[in-house]
Amino acid sequence: MELRKFRKKSPWILHYNAGSCNGCDIEILACLAPKYDIERFGMINTGNPKQSDILLITGPVTKRSRERIVELYAQMPEPKVVVCCGSCASTGGVFRGMYNIEGGVDQYIPVDVYVAGCACRPEQIIDGVVVALGILEEKNKEIEKSIKLAKAPVIEESQVNRREIAGTIF
Amino acid sequence: MMSNLLICISLVILAPIIGGLVYGIERKVKARMQRRIGPPIMQPFYDFMKLADKRAMIVHSAHAFFGIMHFVSLWFALGVLIFGGDLILVIFLHLMSTALLILGGFSTRSIFSHLGANRSAISALAYEPVLILIAVSIYMVTGSFDISSIFDANVPVLLYKMPLAFVALLLILPIKLKKSPFDVAEAHQEITGGAEIEYSGIFFEFLYTAKWLDYVFCYALVFIFAGNNLILGAGLVIGTFLYINALDNSTARVNYRQMLRFALAVALPIAFINLLITIF
Repeated sequence: MELRKFRKKSPWILHYNAGSCNGCDIEILACLAPKYDIERFGMINTGNPKQSDILLITGPVTKRSRERIVELYAQMPEPKVVVCCGSCASTGGVFRGMYNIEGGVDQYIPVDVYVAGCACRPEQIIDGVVVALGILEEKNKEIEKSIKLAKAPVIEESQVNRREIAGTIF
Repeated sequence: MMSNLLICISLVILAPIIGGLVYGIERKVKARMQRRIGPPIMQPFYDFMKLADKRAMIVHSAHAFFGIMHFVSLWFALGVLIFGGDLILVIFLHLMSTALLILGGFSTRSIFSHLGANRSAISALAYEPVLILIAVSIYMVTGSFDISSIFDANVPVLLYKMPLAFVALLLILPIKLKKSPFDVAEAHQEITGGAEIEYSGIFFEFLYTAKWLDYVFCYALVFIFAGNNLILGAGLVIGTFLYINALDNSTARVNYRQMLRFALAVALPIAFINLLITIF
């Protein structure tokens, strides 16, 4: 029996607010409520990184929350996917360039799905999570290997860019 | 006699599967009570298969060992219950499985784990005396602590003989099953699972399956109140199932002090009055 196909059937969600205005968070809670009811796909909002598969992040990364994001990501056992909910989590949004904002979530951890919108609608979140489930099913041991950064990060227009500096896999 | 033994063995082996089905139906029923569609009935087994595929991360080996032994001792307690063993021994074994979970919770440095273990201990303090009193009342009626003696033909149905004990059991079952309003030990929104928080992957699977076994254990305790009358037993189990889910959906969590006060000031006196009635 292929265990891989069961990943799609019971995705457990960890929701983290990295400094959001709470707009995307109430949309995520609306997904759990009776109207959209994502529990019918077997999703549970666990709130526990050690037992979850999908990391849902809302809001731009603030200086306070960046260590916590990396910590939460490290505590989740593989296979795992990261979904950014809303413009702020994807790029920094309207907060980009502010003194306390580090930019999008992908500055610090690898992101699989970006969900646009301010705030993103519950339908979009469900769509994004369904795309993430496809990625979760394809993940294999090769992807789980860690990568080492080869170059120093680039700083352009006060944003730290770590996208282009990922080196070869050791 | 031989067929009886076969039924007992197959019940013990199939207990996790029955418990998983009960849990699946419960999630469905709970969702329908909230006007949601709810997950499929096989959902607990999908979760089981998925958890088997996740990377196993352990805090330390003793922590993982306590989790596994929690499952094993609970299964053993259920086996003794199904084979008609000593009721006191069954309650003791169930308490031992809870104690192993508490030890596992205290063996890590996570504060949520400590809080959950603490509250599990308080829950055990709340329901254990009532269970013991119910067991003693059953001894007063049947003249033996053996569960198999309840199913003798000449023993009256326990529900008619001691209805107050059944009421006391109904009052403490939400504490045992960690259901609202007495789910302080688990409290997913508050301490995110309590003692089970540090388990992951295949080690969490043992705790997840132990939860299913707990359902079978509690509903088996309800079932023995009907004695030989199988139809009454099925009715009692279904009624209790609906009662627990309706209670879970309609009430908010109380804090552990209120839970302890309720169990010791309401449920325990009811069980004690029941014991006095069975003696005289």
